[in-house]
Amino acid sequence: MAFHRRDLIHGAITAGAASVVAASPEENTGTISMPNKVVDTNVSLFQWPFRRLPLDEVDELCLKLGQLGITEAWASSFEGLLHRDIRSANERLLNTCQTRAELVPVGAINPTLPDWKHDLHLCLGRSAMPGIRLFPGYHGYDLRDEVFGELLATATKLRGFVQIAFAMEDTRTQSHHMVAANVDPRPLEHWMQKFPEARVQILNCRPSTSDKQIFSSIPRVVVDSSRVDGTDGVTTLASAIGIDRVLFGSHAPFLIPEAACIRMLESGVSAADIKEMMSTNADNFRKATTTTTTNHRR
Amino acid sequence: MNFGLPSAETLRQYRIWDSYFTPSFSHPGADGSRELIDDIERSMPAIQLGHFEKLCYFAHVGIGTTTDSALENLLQNQPELVLKPLERWPDKLLGMIQLNLHNTAGSMKALDRWLKDGPMLGVYLPGSGPGAANCLAPNVNKLVERVSELGGVIMQHTWLKTSGKRSPHETTPTELATLASRHPQQRFICAHAGGEWEQGIRAIRNTPNVLIETSGFDATAGFIEMATREIGSKRIIFGSHLPSRSLGTEISKVTAAKIGEEEKKDIFGRNYRKLLSTIQSRN
Repeated sequence: MAFHRRDLIHGAITAGAASVVAASPEENTGTISMPNKVVDTNVSLFQWPFRRLPLDEVDELCLKLGQLGITEAWASSFEGLLHRDIRSANERLLNTCQTRAELVPVGAINPTLPDWKHDLHLCLGRSAMPGIRLFPGYHGYDLRDEVFGELLATATKLRGFVQIAFAMEDTRTQSHHMVAANVDPRPLEHWMQKFPEARVQILNCRPSTSDKQIFSSIPRVVVDSSRVDGTDGVTTLASAIGIDRVLFGSHAPFLIPEAACIRMLESGVSAADIKEMMSTNADNFRKATTTTTTNHRR
Repeated sequence: MNFGLPSAETLRQYRIWDSYFTPSFSHPGADGSRELIDDIERSMPAIQLGHFEKLCYFAHVGIGTTTDSALENLLQNQPELVLKPLERWPDKLLGMIQLNLHNTAGSMKALDRWLKDGPMLGVYLPGSGPGAANCLAPNVNKLVERVSELGGVIMQHTWLKTSGKRSPHETTPTELATLASRHPQQRFICAHAGGEWEQGIRAIRNTPNVLIETSGFDATAGFIEMATREIGSKRIIFGSHLPSRSLGTEISKVTAAKIGEEEKKDIFGRNYRKLLSTIQSRN
């Protein structure tokens, strides 16, 4: 008996089903095209600290995104990983995004720096960014820490969403001199209950079975698809946490953006489900946080 | 191009032969094949979407490469079970056998049974599980020599981890290069390019009888460009790691790379076909 992966998502089959046969590729490729609007919720600008990347020039990255049919990209900055003068890093990000219609700036915040709230207010207030991105593994704090709760509360008050980089790369391939542990997401359950208006997205997680269970237990948290691997990885993630909580992300230019796009097609789900993950869910997530802010492009 | 995937015509022109297909990799199922066949079926949509011509998987043949003694006995007593996937997909699948480096006698016997007499085309030297041992273990030389006599291909699992080896039985690209330098007549495939490919590529660069395989790590940008620059497209072999990795992750490493179309054809299949040609001509 053959099951479609789309049935898996919509609950016709239990998540533990061992043998799932998707719709035929002809069925998929013959009828499904990229949605007219595609939101990549996870790109970064400028240079990765540890090597040059083929798309680390903004022009080349935007050209590639356009070729792939990605119409909007939420962009943070690799400079946010290690720079202490994070205000100037965010200003470079903002200035660059203002020259590109498809780029939406998402500033980096490091709550271990003195006066981090000033950076937060600049990003979500004066610069009217829709959200911020955090790198706990690189900045040396834990989601259990009170400072994270304070940051989440403040960002929520300012109507900004919060993206948390679960990782930036596979821990097995990091530089020996810059080891950053994966983020433990479990404390989020407490914070998301405490702040019912908070909007949080996890980025760059290659979710294990236990990760999926954890994500499903955290209210409202959404997850990007950039490192969701396995031929039916997107489908099983959507089945575990709900398709409305899966947002397309590529983690370009660190990862090859085609990879995340192809995985959407490979997932064997319907065009409607693809549209939801590549566009609608991102719109809903962003809309919920920006109802009282003006457009970031001034 | 749709969803970043080249057209069907372009994919067919690449003539993709997948050197690293890993359905039910650790255990084929209690009956010797059911879980393996299920996992192959699970992979079929991606295989068809990618227009793969052939895929090579790594069979357990009852020499102690799993921890399931009942399965090992079953495969020893009913070796025909090993052939079930190849019989089901005769035009699509190729096979190699997993060796147990702690069971030299059994492995030597298996080489005669499965490579000399066919239909298997080479061996997989595991990096984990009960069959794994470091490739510089003394008994490995004897096995390499026999594979070489038979014209078989050697796929060695490699990973170079920031945290160091999880087990002394793991092999790094540097260790594989050392082994390969002792056996210049034999060509070796460095599976996963060591995972951390910036060092993996450098480690095997000066050992021309080592090729790298492309799967098993994230679609990190720049990998194929560096590999092509440093060792040339003739020493790179495509692998999919399906179904535990995805078509998107693995095929995009090559299709999206800033290299020539002929170089992509080398990587996707031409090199692998050449590597297999010795033993295929004997069989």
